[in-house]
Amino acid sequence: MKDKRTIFVALLVGLMTLANLAFAHHGTANYETTKTITVKGPVSDFQFINPHVIIILDGKDETGKVQKWQGELTSPNRLTRAGWTKSSIKPGDIVTISGYPTKSGEPEIWIQKVVLASGDELPTGGGN
Amino acid sequence: MRSHVKGLIFAGAAVLAFSSGLRARMGQQAGAAKSPAASAPAPAHDLSGVWNMHSSPAQRKFLGSTYTQEGPEMTPWGKAKYDASKPSNGPRSNALKVTDDPVLRSCLPPGTPRIYLQPFPLQFVQTPKEVIILYEYDHTVRHIFVDGRPHPADITPTYMGHSIGEWDGNTLVVDTTGFNDKTWLDRDGHHHTDELHVVERFHRVDRDNLQIDITMEDPKALAKPWIAQLNFQLKPDWDIMELACTDNAAFEDFEK
Repeated sequence: MKDKRTIFVALLVGLMTLANLAFAHHGTANYETTKTITVKGPVSDFQFINPHVIIILDGKDETGKVQKWQGELTSPNRLTRAGWTKSSIKPGDIVTISGYPTKSGEPEIWIQKVVLASGDELPTGGGN
Repeated sequence: MRSHVKGLIFAGAAVLAFSSGLRARMGQQAGAAKSPAASAPAPAHDLSGVWNMHSSPAQRKFLGSTYTQEGPEMTPWGKAKYDASKPSNGPRSNALKVTDDPVLRSCLPPGTPRIYLQPFPLQFVQTPKEVIILYEYDHTVRHIFVDGRPHPADITPTYMGHSIGEWDGNTLVVDTTGFNDKTWLDRDGHHHTDELHVVERFHRVDRDNLQIDITMEDPKALAKPWIAQLNFQLKPDWDIMELACTDNAAFEDFEK
C-alpha cells in the first residue's frame, strides 16, 4: 500500500517551501508535508467538532474501488471565524479535498483546501 | 512586603529595559508584526477586549511551538530534559500516541507563558482588583491581582502561577511565580522547574495592537533569562468560544 497509489485522485507532488510553514500542528510526523493529494467524492460524515473538524468521504480509485477517506481540518472555532457552520457541508455533498497524505499510506489527509460542488472554495483557516 | 514586590517588579522591568537592545534586534529580525492600518490611540490602563495573536511570516517559522528562532540557553539539566522530551508540535514532532507533552497527553493546564502558544484568542476583563485573562484554549483563566497585594509568603504551587500586576505608565507589568513543575515552557519540549519566574509587560501600542514582552527566568533550567515578544490584534467582532481539551482524547483514535 505504501508504494502503490492506486487511487483515483490527482496526485500533485508539490515542493512545499518551509519558509512560511510553522509546524503549529501537532503530530506532523504522520504526514508527508512535501506532497499534496486530492480526493473527490460524496461526503458520508462531517464532524464539526474540536479538536479537528473531520470530513469523511467516499473516494473512488482507478480500479473503481471506493474507499473511505478521512480528512482533518483545524478547530471549528477557527473555521467558524472563517465563515463555516456545522451545516457548511452535508452528507451527500460532492466535495474535493486537497492536502498532505500520510506517510503510512492510510487514506487520510491533512486538509489544506476544500472545494464544494459549486466550485466555491471554503477557507480552511490557513490549513493548520 | 509591598516594597519587596515593587522591587521585584522594577527589577524585572530593569532586566527588560537593559535587554531592550536585544529585543529590538530580535524585533527587527522577526519583523515586528503589527496591523498595517493606522489605529486610534490606546485607552489608558485598559486592555479590555478579545485579542488574537498576530505574527509575521518570519515569526511563523517558530511560533507554532516556541517563542524565538534560537530557543533558550539551557542549563545542563534543562538541556537533558529537552533532549529527552517527545513533543508533538514543532520540528521534532512525534505522533500523539507517543508524545509526552503534558497538555496533549493529559490535558494538563498549559502553564504560563505557554498558554500563549495554544493558538486561540484571549480576552481581558478588568475589575478594580484584578485583570482577568480568559483564554479560549481549554477555558484557561488567569487572575492578575492589581490591588497591591504581594505574592503569598508560602505559595501553593499551581500550573498557571500566582500573578500580581502594576501599571507602569500605560504598561501593565505582571510578575508571576509559584509554579509547579508539571508544565512545559513551550510546545517544543523546553522544561522548567518550580523556580520559574515570569514577567510579562502588556503594552497596548495603540487601540488595536497589544505587545507582550515576556521574560522567563529559571536558574535550574535556563542559563540566561529567555526573552520573547508576542503581538496581538484586537478583534472587536470575536467572542471567546468553548474549547475543551478533553475532546482531544476522542481524536487520538482518528490519528494513526
